Amino acid sequence: MTRADVILLLLTLLTLPLVYNHYWGERGAGANAVVAVADSQPATISLNDDRRIDVNGARGTSVIEVHGGAVRFVDSPCNSKQCIHAGWLRLSGDFAACLPNKVSVLITGNQRRFDAINF
Amino acid sequence: MRSISDRLICVEPMTSITLNTTREDHRIAWFTALAVVIHVAEGALPSPLPGVKPGLANVVTIAVLLLYGWRLAAWVALLRVIIGSIVVGTFLSPTFMLSFAGAGAAALALAAASQLPGRGFGPIGFSLLASLSHMAAQFWVAYVLFIPHPGLLALLPVLLSVATLTGLINGMITIWMLKAVYANRS
Repeated sequence: MTRADVILLLLTLLTLPLVYNHYWGERGAGANAVVAVADSQPATISLNDDRRIDVNGARGTSVIEVHGGAVRFVDSPCNSKQCIHAGWLRLSGDFAACLPNKVSVLITGNQRRFDAINF
Repeated sequence: MRSISDRLICVEPMTSITLNTTREDHRIAWFTALAVVIHVAEGALPSPLPGVKPGLANVVTIAVLLLYGWRLAAWVALLRVIIGSIVVGTFLSPTFMLSFAGAGAAALALAAASQLPGRGFGPIGFSLLASLSHMAAQFWVAYVLFIPHPGLLALLPVLLSVATLTGLINGMITIWMLKAVYANRS
């Protein structure tokens, strides 16, 4: 190995942990929550104002609470209450859904246009 | 009356086109053929993740770079991707765009790196540089053109780690191959 080889290898090995830290480290706090009910337009709500929102889903009313930059399901007319057990959603990308009631909540940070494009 | 066979014989004589080829052209053709074979054979290997493969055909590129300079290496790298994709049947498909972008970026990086004064890079450095730039360009194209989703970024650290590993291994294979080449020459 030449000196340039060694320098490049060391630089790579030193940079890799930084890359891991950058992409696998803490995610940023979300700014908005997208509340989606099946068969209707998703609504975007801000996480800045604390409040409770009643969402009418397929089975009844789900209650969503916004508090201190986080959002959670408080009540939902389902059997397993998975959405409530998901707890507070705070970070961009966090997601909870009540499938029986067809209501979902997704925290978003940056704007994005597509999920994926396939050919 | 002339028979049909006569008429067939009497048609215009075939105009023959002669291509003047240089020694360099032949080298490019031979090394490209070798690289295409490796490229296609490698495509048959199962891959743990999309975008992850050993990139053994790059060994040929690096060897050509060290033996004959970056111009030949760039020819071999780009022709390999084009011909390889035609053989496999992915020409101009997203797969092709990814590998073309990767090979182009790797060729550019190698061209720049080969201009270093002094001893410069050896096989390991060139190979590592090529695999990292190949992966980076390929990932960028995938992210910008096909899957602009933040979730894709979570793959980047893993892919770069794999690129580092395959770059190192390919560099070692190149050293071994060049040793055999030099032993044959003398």
